[in-house]
Amino acid sequence: MASFTPAVVMDNGTGYTKLGFAGNDAPSFIFPTAIATRNTSGSGKPSAPSKPSFLTSSGSSGGNLSQKRGTEDLDFFIGDEAITAANGPNYGLNYPVRHGQVENWDHMERFWENSIFKYLRCEPEDHHFLMTEPPLNPPENRENTAEIMFESFNCAGLYIAVQAVLALAASWTSSKAVDKTLTGTVIDSGDGVTHIIPVAEGYVIGSAIKNIPIAGRDITYFIQNILRDRNEPDSSLRTAEMIKEQFCYVSPDIVKEFNRFDREPERFQKYLVDQGFGRRVSVDVGYERFLAPEIFFNPEIASSDFLTPLPEVVDTVVQACPIDVRRGLYKNIVLSGGSTMFRDFGRRLQRDIRTLADARIHRSEVLSGTKSAGVEVQVISHKKQRNAVWFGGSLLSSTPEFKSYCYTKQDYDEMGPGIVRNFSLFNVP
Amino acid sequence: MSQSLRPYLSAVRASLAVALTLEDFASQTVERHNTPEVEVRTSAEALLNSMMISRNEHERVLIEPSINSVRVSISIKQADEIERILVHQFSRFLTGRAEAFYILRRKPIPGYDISFLITNSHTSTMLKHKLVDFIIEFMEEVDKEISEMKLFLNARARFVAEAYLTPFD
Amino acid sequence: MLLLQYHNLLLQTILTERLAIDASPSSIDQIVSDFDNVAFHISTPERKSSILISLYIKCFNDLQKYGVEELLQRKYGDYLLPTPEYGYNVSLMLDLGDKEAGIPSNIPEEAEARQDLINEIALLKRNVIAAPFEIAFDKFDQLSAEAAEKSLELYVPEDSGAEVMAIHYRDEESIFIKPSHDRVTVIFSTIFKDETDRVFGKVFLQEFVDARRRAIQNAPQVLYSHKEPPLEIRHVPGLKTGDDIGYATFVLFPRHLAPQRRQNCISHIQIFRDYFHYHIKCSKAYMHSRMRYRVSEFLKVLNRAKPENAEKEKKTASGRRFEIGRR
Repeated sequence: MASFTPAVVMDNGTGYTKLGFAGNDAPSFIFPTAIATRNTSGSGKPSAPSKPSFLTSSGSSGGNLSQKRGTEDLDFFIGDEAITAANGPNYGLNYPVRHGQVENWDHMERFWENSIFKYLRCEPEDHHFLMTEPPLNPPENRENTAEIMFESFNCAGLYIAVQAVLALAASWTSSKAVDKTLTGTVIDSGDGVTHIIPVAEGYVIGSAIKNIPIAGRDITYFIQNILRDRNEPDSSLRTAEMIKEQFCYVSPDIVKEFNRFDREPERFQKYLVDQGFGRRVSVDVGYERFLAPEIFFNPEIASSDFLTPLPEVVDTVVQACPIDVRRGLYKNIVLSGGSTMFRDFGRRLQRDIRTLADARIHRSEVLSGTKSAGVEVQVISHKKQRNAVWFGGSLLSSTPEFKSYCYTKQDYDEMGPGIVRNFSLFNVP
Repeated sequence: MSQSLRPYLSAVRASLAVALTLEDFASQTVERHNTPEVEVRTSAEALLNSMMISRNEHERVLIEPSINSVRVSISIKQADEIERILVHQFSRFLTGRAEAFYILRRKPIPGYDISFLITNSHTSTMLKHKLVDFIIEFMEEVDKEISEMKLFLNARARFVAEAYLTPFD
Repeated sequence: MLLLQYHNLLLQTILTERLAIDASPSSIDQIVSDFDNVAFHISTPERKSSILISLYIKCFNDLQKYGVEELLQRKYGDYLLPTPEYGYNVSLMLDLGDKEAGIPSNIPEEAEARQDLINEIALLKRNVIAAPFEIAFDKFDQLSAEAAEKSLELYVPEDSGAEVMAIHYRDEESIFIKPSHDRVTVIFSTIFKDETDRVFGKVFLQEFVDARRRAIQNAPQVLYSHKEPPLEIRHVPGLKTGDDIGYATFVLFPRHLAPQRRQNCISHIQIFRDYFHYHIKCSKAYMHSRMRYRVSEFLKVLNRAKPENAEKEKKTASGRRFEIGRR
């Protein structure tokens, strides 16, 4: 019986929300974490809908009842529908999650409401929920989440996991991952920011986390700029994005790659853009194929304010961690997020980090005169990388012991919201 | 209705203003401790007589003064089951956010719905009359909020019922 | 969103994607859930082009008594598998065909017919539960015809002999359907796990009861009783008793059972519980947003009590600063 009510896995990211059921290998729904709410009385204040209209007007008028039965709070759309609705009049678009953290709980609560009842179609009383949170999420946010999930939705059970830990769990599917460990460095690169998060035995080492302001969007802009420089017939953001997803890869060495392009003209490709109305134009795709992802490794080609290459940042992060976990962190570098999907991204990263680590070991060998055993650097890429966090959640919540790790409504009623400040970690099998 | 509200609130205001004459007072039982006497209740001479101001049997305020702290407990009107549950929800919601409220006690004392604990450190960092204003405004708004929520619930229920039954026709 | 949808959105999305004319076959293995512990399993067990859709529903045994099989045969005859997938109750097989292996497709070619098929499958859960309702409505036709024949105005419906159909669709909740010559009675037993829900639910149900009297005269009559089961089902064995149980009774009159309304009526009434619980939750969410607003207002008032001690730097007229305590 129990197996028929799969747990619900919800990953609300800054850009996209991934929804689905435990045990599936891909999220059932992926849509923007956006909510379109009705603008109140056309005043054009986008923040106004957060408080129901009659609250603001309750002072002025006595408040007649017909006004009060308003159902403004039901009149909203989420996800792709929200974007469509916001294009029309009357609706304003809001993004309740900012920098990974929930900013507007009113919107988030309604976002979840619609996710559960319209998209997933499940009665929350029957299902356990696994939610995700970014590293360094304040515990108050957890409590707020629990308050909503238990008080509004009466969900049967709740587990809140850190995204980076789930990304580590997702890498267990890779053939390279030998032991299922929750120690490792997670490189999570989405659309806006790239995070490098060290995790030791399931706990995030918060002090060592680093962010890089280079991610998917910068690559897209970079490609767009190249297209514009060349006066391509179509240089829209959409085209640049498609080129990024279909053609880009990471080269081992840019100089050699330039030469290879000159020698082998078939490396230049064409991308057909359907501009609608039956117009189709062809866009040349050239050096940006390998140059665009290169901005992770040589940021100076695209940005002027951030100049540290990704491998160096990863190395610094690991060096900032306690010495006894560094070996594990080097050995298990896990990729997550769409912007790590470029071909050979993992290989190049592994090579560059290894070079850095070896150089340091060599230096200390010279200085101390002793012999070091060396350090193993391994970057693990796997098939589920794009939705690694969600997939890791699905993996963990489909285990039979998942429910015993959750807090139930009874626990919550007895202990109060503070209960969710601690979750026991999954036993590493 | 509001006829009895005004004297009720002004009585609370006056009593609070009197009760909020606090001074620093170190614990007499434990060295180098400085605890709210009204909570620890270790020295009888530091406690003052408590006051109860009632508007009716449901709505009442209990003010327990002491030399360095005052505990104010409010019992909110609960006419029926719905209001009872709403008050319960609301007070739980507030106490969950007690951190931000400085003077809110995390747990109301038995028999009351919400308690405040004002110590001499609060009165020395915050303006006393504004604290009184806050408590008075709180009492006014809570009643209003509860009855509005109840109205909303009824209105929503009616709307939902009609929306469900209409398609049958 | 005011009303819940009758169909399963995810099932519809997946199938629309997969049955598109130019879709390339790929393997799927997804579990999809629906209200009331219903689970779907959509997979491609043999080849990428043959899609197996299975449904699990808790009350299938009850439904089997009330002719669900004929209904499935009627609706999905060509696609129905004789033995369902292990662990599930109903399985449908859609075959997109495989040109190389010479396996013909069993789904219609025209886009419109395909869309109809997709919609019908997305309504699988609704259709399965519809079976007893259809039987009840047919029985009503029969009884009312008999009654008309006898032309007895004062015909007493109590011993019409129609049995009460019980569908135990959730662990603790059931639907009871009883047809008679001038009405069909549908009774939902409801249970609330949470105190707040119980109170809210009571308010809602009271409004359901009153709605007909006040606004919509033509709506079905709704009755609500707490603890006491209604007369119609009092003799049904195995009724749960307890403080927290309630019964919502819907009396559907002939006007609701008109042939053109019938299907819509079935869809609509079976979503009652989910609709009801959805709105209780929405109200609670709304309360939360009110309280959040109120908390922020209170905080504003409280923060007024803090003196603004950002003292301005004192300067002399010539612009020199006082340096107190430093010399």
